[in-house]
This record gives sequence, structure tokens and C-alpha cells, in this order.
Amino acid sequence: MAMAATAKKKRTFSDYWDSYSTVSILVLMVLIFGALQPKAFLGGTNLIKIVEQSAITILLACGEFFAILLAGIDLSVSSTMALTGVVTAKLMVLGIAPLVAVLIGAVGLGALIGALNGALINVTGLPPFIITLGTQAILRGLTMIVSNARAVSGVPVEFTAAVGGKMFGVVPTPIVIALLTAAVLIFFTMKTQAGRNLYAIGGNTQSAWFAGINVKAHTVLAFTISGLCAGLAGMVNISRLSAAEPNAGTGYETFAIAAVIIGGTSFFGGQGVIPKVVVGGLIIGVINNGLNMVGVSSFYQQIAMGALIIAAVTLDRFFGASSKLRK
Amino acid sequence: MQPLVQMNHITKTFPGVKALSDITFDIRPGEVHVLLGENGAGKSTLMKILSGAYQPDGGGSILIEGTEYPSLTPKLSGACGISIIYQELSVINELSIQENIFIGRMPTRKVAGIPVIDTEAMRKRTQELLDSIDLNRSPSTIVGDLSISEKQMVEIAKAVAFNAKVIVMDEPTSSLTDSEVARLFEIIGKLKAEGKGIVYISHKLREILKIGDRVTVLKDGAYVGTRDLKDVTMDDLVNMMVGRELKEKYQSKTDVHQAGKAILEVKGLTRKDGYVKDISFTLRAGEVLGFSGLIGAGRSETMCAIYGADPISAGEVWLHGERLKIRTPYDALNYGIGLVTENRRETGFFPNFSIRRNIGIAKQLKRTRWGGLLGLVDFKDEQATAEKQRKDIQIKCASLEQGITELSGGNQQKVILGKWMAAGVKVLIFDEPTKGIDVGTKAEIYKLMRSLADNGIGVILISSELPELLSVCDRFIVMNEGKISAEFGAAEATEEKLVKAATVDVSASGGK
Repeated sequence: MAMAATAKKKRTFSDYWDSYSTVSILVLMVLIFGALQPKAFLGGTNLIKIVEQSAITILLACGEFFAILLAGIDLSVSSTMALTGVVTAKLMVLGIAPLVAVLIGAVGLGALIGALNGALINVTGLPPFIITLGTQAILRGLTMIVSNARAVSGVPVEFTAAVGGKMFGVVPTPIVIALLTAAVLIFFTMKTQAGRNLYAIGGNTQSAWFAGINVKAHTVLAFTISGLCAGLAGMVNISRLSAAEPNAGTGYETFAIAAVIIGGTSFFGGQGVIPKVVVGGLIIGVINNGLNMVGVSSFYQQIAMGALIIAAVTLDRFFGASSKLRK
Repeated sequence: MQPLVQMNHITKTFPGVKALSDITFDIRPGEVHVLLGENGAGKSTLMKILSGAYQPDGGGSILIEGTEYPSLTPKLSGACGISIIYQELSVINELSIQENIFIGRMPTRKVAGIPVIDTEAMRKRTQELLDSIDLNRSPSTIVGDLSISEKQMVEIAKAVAFNAKVIVMDEPTSSLTDSEVARLFEIIGKLKAEGKGIVYISHKLREILKIGDRVTVLKDGAYVGTRDLKDVTMDDLVNMMVGRELKEKYQSKTDVHQAGKAILEVKGLTRKDGYVKDISFTLRAGEVLGFSGLIGAGRSETMCAIYGADPISAGEVWLHGERLKIRTPYDALNYGIGLVTENRRETGFFPNFSIRRNIGIAKQLKRTRWGGLLGLVDFKDEQATAEKQRKDIQIKCASLEQGITELSGGNQQKVILGKWMAAGVKVLIFDEPTKGIDVGTKAEIYKLMRSLADNGIGVILISSELPELLSVCDRFIVMNEGKISAEFGAAEATEEKLVKAATVDVSASGGK
């Protein structure tokens, strides 16, 4: 154990992996697709499109990050995104001002769903996997009931223009929303005591309890953030389509989890940072878009995505920060 | 008569700790050989060497029925007929008795050339085994439905099924009722008559005198002696177990009993789970109050309840004349009560945090509101705090940014102590603070406790090492089966008295 302290620090592959793995994967992906399809893939419009498409993944992943930070998982983000989207759209169609509709339907409802997930985990003592697997189905069902299983259209133009448009004619507003959210969460994780406490609980729940951290309250907090981010993703999603699809986001929890994991977050809890999760979200966007551009069918895209998750976690297990803890 | 097992000059070193030095131990056929010693004396280590789980250092030898082995592996040990029944039983609750006994080596028969499990043969053989130990259960009973005593019988049957010659029983009666103990002793008698050698590990002196033939006493990893039990009395056994004192004394120079004002008062504390009942004591200024007792006597459980980590159903805690309302460790932290937990890896530190963060966490939490939900981390303060503690208690590290897992056990413990020093405690409870820690750091921790007590901070020490308690504490409370069984001042306390209060008195009142 003392070896690491006494031995002269020589940078190993493991150190490089710690610092640069996520960014390297992104650069590698861009280079590969750029070489295969220089014009279509590297064109300005396409790159903007990738960034725009990544916004939802980034938002979902930023929330998912907190569930995984506690060595848990949130499978319900995709359904939360659909339900909040449908409710927000319904409220606007009913004539409620877009800002109020967003505050109630996306922000409020998203946070509420997350808080309920956290409360259920606390009360039942069941693993987050079970609870959120259940709420994923429940929320999808609720979405179908609220929407009558039909798309809710008639979303006001001022909303779609404000949320789904482009700033200064170039920068897609969705990515601005995603990055602002990420910025707030970076501040939260790095500077606040509650953020610090979440890392502590992820590292060792028992020690956290004995140190005086209210583990249950922080569990609710982590899942509330996850739900809130999913609500924002729901809002962005309806702005892009001008309608709320009840089937929206099906399977997106996989993308969110993949982004978090590829972003170097330890599945065992207590390790990871938001900026890398954002890059992880971009990687998912690049792969989805790039494989399309190269003309690979969506079935193969799924295979590629799955393989990448396994490869990234395998490498992380051997070289990542968490590999050094298990001694 | 050739012994079944002869262990000669066994030495085992762990990094920084000599767990066993030059131990000789033998097991003869048809005897119960008791292995006796305090917690940490090396009994389990010796048995783990016999089971092949640990490899001894070079220089010794293990002879099994005359064949010499430098060391054993678990497989070899099993093949030589050595079987160990641990205190935490290793039966699989989901399987039936017969499956548990034959797991991994079930009898097979061929059906159309394909080997399948011969359930009938397995059932028959199991029935014979159960008959031989008088366990009146069907072989197909699911083990999870059995009592602890019956599960133990299943383990014994399993050992017998594979012709174990030596059966090691690690504290086999710790969770048995009196009638179950009597039954176990009957079976041990039968096994003896069949010529098997039994190693019996226990603290309960009465029991040992009743069932044992010979006794070997270990102390701090060293061999004290082997005696025929018919030649010794209970007092002889206690004398063999104790008898070592730490050279240095850390007790208060002044007579604290006169001066000491009450710091912490606990009145009628009872845990919700009933594990400890009606605990009352007073911790006075200037003293280090020692808690003695066997593992499982309820000392840690008492402290966890005071600290708010486990719920209580009755009782009051007063600090400096103020009644406290502690529901969670956060409350305790805010009142200024700290707990250095027994197992720093599981309940002490954060493996993903640097030394700086591990030291800073309690003080930072105290600054915030709503159980730590509201507030910012004060990085400047955290850095300064960590620097100060590193200097004050001499944490040896290359940098405060190092991960805590890179430190030695002693330095990890110092980080945890630093965490509480920084948080500004009024009472600090140490639960086995020197477990797995080198001698030098131990002395530093004792000195720290003394200086805390001298500076008016209440200090409680739970320790299973009597010499440690006797050299550090000014007053002693002995716990036994969830209750306080005795209290001694520094002048009257001896190892003999503490051991007796922890073991003898309550077993006289009929165990559980």
C-alpha cells in the first residue's frame, strides 16, 4: 500500500487513461467518421446537427450521473422525459403560458417524479434498479393515458422558437440549455457540501452515515436531480418536434447510461465528473450520426453502441481511477 | 500414541504485525483440545493455517498423521481430514440438508450412460448421518428452516460424511441455548469415542472445564502453555490468559475521581433491537473511561446508540448538564460527540476521497445546514484544517491529495482521528482504535487520548485488549450480554477481575 506513496511517480498508461480517455474516444470517433465521410460528416450543418441531437442525451446523462454516482441507476429517465413532455404540451395547448407550463410540467413534474423515485428507494430499501424499472413502466403507462396514446400537437410557436430554435442563427438553443444545466451541476458537484456528500455516499454509504451525512435525504436529492434533468430533456424534445410524442425517448435510458459510463463514471459509485459526462453525451451523438452518415443500418448501430459500452467499462476497470481503489 | 496433527514452531507475520510466533500445537485422536486466549491472541490465525487459508512463515512444520507438510492448501487440508466449523456457519440456507452435506461431491448414477445425481443414495446416506448425531429431521428439509443449533449439526454431519479426523469448532456455543449446548456436548462425546480429534475454541471457562481434555493457551500470538484440564482450575486458566502488562502507563497523573465533573451522562439507555438494555454510566472530566467485555457483549452497540447511528427505545443522554436529542449521527456531530468506529474500512473513511477531504468532512458538515444539504464547501478552510491535523498528529503522507487507501493502517486511523479533532468534539469515543495498527502508532494514539482527557474532552475507549485498557484507562466498565456487569477504578482493576466480570458471572446466570 505504501508503494504508491514512496515510488517515484511515473506517468503510466493508467494515468493517461484517467485524464484523457473520454476526450480521446470523442476525437477518435470524429477522425474515423471524418475519414470515411469527409464531406457529409464534417460539414458545418452536420456538426451543428450532431450537437443539437446530443442535447437530449447530455441532459438525460447529467441526471443519470447522480443515480450512478450513488452506485445506483435510474432507468425511468426515458419515461419521465415522455410524461413531462406530454404534460407540458397539454398545459400549453390548454392555453397556459409556455413559461408557466414549463415550470409546472417539465421542471416541477420532473423533479417530483425523481423525488418519488428516491423516496420509494428509501422506504422499500430495494435497489434503485428495481424501483426505477417499475416506475419506468408506470410512467410510460401514465404518458399513454394522459395523451390518449396520441401525439399532443398544437404547441405554440413562441415556445418552439424559444426552446428549439437557434441563438444568433447558428447555435442550437437545446445545446445551450444542456450546457447551462451542466454548468450548474458542475458547480453543484464541485463547490457545494451536498455535492461533496453525494460522492461520499457513493464511496462508502456506511462511512457517510457514521460521518453524519443524511443518506436518505441525499438519495432523494440525487434522484430529484435526475428527474429534473429528464423533465428538461422532455421540454427540449417537444420543442424540436413541435409536438409531444407519447413514445418519445423509448430506450434513451441506454444512451444516458452509456454516456455516463463512457464519461468515466464508476459504476461502483463515488467517482466521476460532469464535464466528462457531457463529452460522453457528445460521443453518443457522434456515433449515432456518424453510423447513419456512413450508411450503417440502425441494427448495427445498436451493436456498435453496446460494444462501445462494454469496451469503455472494461478499459476503465483495468486502468481507471476505480481500479486503484480495490486493493 | 501418534497425534493426528502436530504443528511445530508455527510463525505467521502480517505486514507490520507478528500474529503468531513459534507456536506448537497438537491434536490427539479421541480428545477435545481447547484453544484458549483473548481476542486477538492468534487462535483464528492458527486455525486458518491448519485449514490452509493462510500460509505460515518458513521454519515450522505441520505433521498430519506423521506426514510432514511445510504448509497446507484448503484442498490439501480437506483431503487430510481436517474440517472447520466456523462461528458464522457456512451452510447454504436455500438448499436441503442432503444437498448441503454433499454439495460439490454428490453421488451419481448413470441413466442411459449420462451421469445424474443419485438422489436416493444421497438421501439414504444423509439419513444415516442424521441418525448418528440424533438430528430428527428429514434429509430433504430446507436448511433455512432449521435452528442455528440444527444448522451446526448439519455442519458436523458434513464433516463426518467425509471422514474428517479433526473437527475444529470455533465458538460453537456462542448462540446456543443451554439444552442445545448439552446436546452438542453429547455429540462431541460420540465423536471422541470414534477417535476423532476435536479442537474447541471458546471463551467460556465453565464450558471448557466441562468438555475439554487438554487446553493450550495463546497470548498475543505467543504460546503460553498446554495443560491437562483435570489438573487446572478456573483461576489457573484466567492466570494463563492474562499476565502481561504494557510497560508504559498513560493514566491520569491526578486523581480524577475527586476532581472530575460529569461530562457525559447516560441514563437507562435501551436499544430498539434490545441488544443492550438499561445502560447507565457517567463520563467525568479528565478521565479515560474504558469499556471491557467479550466481542458481542454490546459495547459497540451501546456507543452506536448513543451516537445516533442505531435507534433507541428508552434512555437519556446528557452532555455538560444539557439533555441531548440525538436521532442521527448528524445530531451527535453537532452536539460535539464523535465516534471512531471499530472498522475504519467499512464505517470510517471514504476510499474515493483524498486525505484532505477525509479529514475535512466532519467539520465541513458541521458548518452546513439541513443535515449537510445546504452550504458550500470552504476549500481554504478545508486545506488549512487538513494541514493542521497533518502536523498535529503527524500523519505520514507524501501529499494531502493522496488517496487514503494508499496509507498504512496506522496513518488511515490518524486521518480519522484528525477528522474528529478538526470537528471540535467534546466527547470522543474510540472503538478498538488500535486494531491492526503498529506499535509506534498505538503509543501515539494512547498519548492523544490522554492529552484529550487532560484538556477536558470526554474520552471513552472500547478495547478487547486488556493490557491496553489497563494502561490507558482511569476507570473501567465491564459489559456482559448487553448489560453492565461491573465497574472498577484504576487502583482495583486487574486483568483477572475484568476477565471474570466479562465471562464468568453471567454464564453462571444461565447464558442467554
